[in-house]
Amino acid sequence: MGHEEELEAYRSQLLESLNSRPEIRSWSDPIQVYVNERRVGELESAGIGAMLQVQCVDHIETVQLRAEDGTLLGGLTALECGYRTDRVRLSADTVELSVHNLAQGGTLSALFTPAPSFWSRAWKSIADVTDRVVARRPEPALAYGMRTVAFTQALLAIAVVGLVADRITTGRTSDRTPSPVVQTATLSPAPAADMAKFEQRLDELVRMQAKVDDALGSQQKGVVQLQQALVKLSSTQESFESNVLTVREEIEKRLETVGRETDRQTRQMASRGRVEQEQLEAAIQNLTADNHRLAKEVVSLEEYNQVLKTKLQTAVASASKAVDPSPERLLKMADSLQATQQQMPFLFWVTFSDGTSQESIDKWVYEMQGHKGAVSEGWQEVRIVPPAVPPDRFLEQIRGEKIVKAARIGQ
Amino acid sequence: MAVTRMHNTLSKSHVMADRMATVNRLEEVVSTSDEFDQVVSQALPVLLDRATGYTKRFLRETGQWNDDIEHEKFALRWGSEYLERFLVCGRSEVPCRPLFLFDSLVAKQHSKPEPFCYHPDLLRPLGRFLDGLVARAVVSRDALIALYHHSYGWGAGDVIAVTGLNGLESQRIYKNFRRWRESGWQRTMDEVGLTKAELAELGQQQQRHRQRFNGEAERLIRVAQGHYRKSEPDHYPCLSRSQWGEMFTQGYGCDYRIWHLALCLDCMQTAWGLGSSGSLTGEKPRLELQVRP
Repeated sequence: MGHEEELEAYRSQLLESLNSRPEIRSWSDPIQVYVNERRVGELESAGIGAMLQVQCVDHIETVQLRAEDGTLLGGLTALECGYRTDRVRLSADTVELSVHNLAQGGTLSALFTPAPSFWSRAWKSIADVTDRVVARRPEPALAYGMRTVAFTQALLAIAVVGLVADRITTGRTSDRTPSPVVQTATLSPAPAADMAKFEQRLDELVRMQAKVDDALGSQQKGVVQLQQALVKLSSTQESFESNVLTVREEIEKRLETVGRETDRQTRQMASRGRVEQEQLEAAIQNLTADNHRLAKEVVSLEEYNQVLKTKLQTAVASASKAVDPSPERLLKMADSLQATQQQMPFLFWVTFSDGTSQESIDKWVYEMQGHKGAVSEGWQEVRIVPPAVPPDRFLEQIRGEKIVKAARIGQ
Repeated sequence: MAVTRMHNTLSKSHVMADRMATVNRLEEVVSTSDEFDQVVSQALPVLLDRATGYTKRFLRETGQWNDDIEHEKFALRWGSEYLERFLVCGRSEVPCRPLFLFDSLVAKQHSKPEPFCYHPDLLRPLGRFLDGLVARAVVSRDALIALYHHSYGWGAGDVIAVTGLNGLESQRIYKNFRRWRESGWQRTMDEVGLTKAELAELGQQQQRHRQRFNGEAERLIRVAQGHYRKSEPDHYPCLSRSQWGEMFTQGYGCDYRIWHLALCLDCMQTAWGLGSSGSLTGEKPRLELQVRP
């Protein structure tokens, strides 16, 4: 066989297999359930109802029902979002499929319902007949009780009709007796026997009637109880509905309150923001004005300073004209001034690092050839011989010391 | 001669006209499930060719196509698979235009990562046999149980012992075996297009070079199992021996054992002997491929 023929034979075989879908008989083996071509469970279908519920993280795209031999029995393609239901018929049995897809995933519900049995079908037929016999259709909840009563009444009527027919037959038989002699002879025992039989049947009838009355009584009680239960149920349902309504109203109210609260907070925040912005703008304006004022003051102070300098120069010139010091005197004055400056101690304030012992401080002061002075708010006054370097540089050196935390000149 | 040619030409043009009419009908809206069944059942050849064509195109575009009968059969097989799903699931999509619905179904399948198990070695008779068996095991419990027989040569009793099943499940295993022997195996062979000659050749190869045959089968079945195990319930991963032991001892995960052990050679080795309360203490099972059911 060539390749073309082999391929054609294969294609025909596949088409034939697709065409001859297997005949689905009543199912006794479990039905395999697949979601998105992945097996998720099975429905036990041995003559009883069964249910399978599956919750998936992913969307359900397809649902397939397969027999144990792999035959595809039915299935559905689900909607991307929302409900889809389908009924798959397997001979007389059915499987109700229901898929609900949400953004969070999908849910599948599969309900197997077997074909009704002979007795349930028979009972359904009788119930239909009695339904037709009962002229006034009662409420659906009472239908079962009324059907039973109607069925009992029908039985009773059949029994009465049977008795009457029997009686008529007996009467006709006695009418057909030709001989008055025989009739006389037979009349005496016959009514007694008939009467006994009749009495017996009447007794039976009375007993049956009593039974029927009992049954009717119990049925009525049942009906009354059923009605009470229905009343309770309806009141419960009403209260439940009113509760649901209340809850819904409450939720709506809360939503409104929450909305209002949110709006109020937003407005408050916005107004607060505006106020703060205005305050900031005012502060900036004040600062700008102060800045201008300060700049003007600086300018005027500089001008005043210039004036003072000029006055000083004038005063010095006039003084130099008035006094003519000799160079020797000037040198003496300079020396005395230097000596005075050297005799004056250099004073500065210092704080020490935490945990520095008094001994270390004393040692440090001694090394500096200085003397400790007053202590004020943690600052130690130290007097030393004026250093050779300028005060700022000296303070920098001091601050570099290990035990010194800070140092300054003024108090 | 000329008459015959003319007759052929006429016949071809007639077929073409029929196909066009069928395609046109498939493009129209169908409103009920019954109408869907009727329209689609009359168009099976057209739809099969269409799905096969799409599959060929997919294989070409993904660099997996060769012009040989193996690839043609592979494309036909998957076309048929898509068509079967369409026949069943498409009914729930009415009202619809069947042709467009079918195209979208195939496109959706081909947009999935690895829509089917493709490996050049799986297109040869032994590969097709194994691919067919494992693919069928995913959708058929009969085939799944039969996989124990085809892989290790076990009967129903052995399967029950190895998987540690109880009485009720055991009855089911016997039924699975029976159905597989009666129809399942033949149906699977038909689906993968294995001819009688090819099956006979496989049997002869097995007899002549048993070890080499089983070695090759083990290599290929691992490829197929690796792909189709993705169809398992997603909470069925491979387990350690202690985890398998706990499952067997406490008696839960019946489905887990049946599914996973059939589809995983390594886990079968790992869990060997746990299900039989120590009665299976022999050497761990090796693949002993059985061609016949």
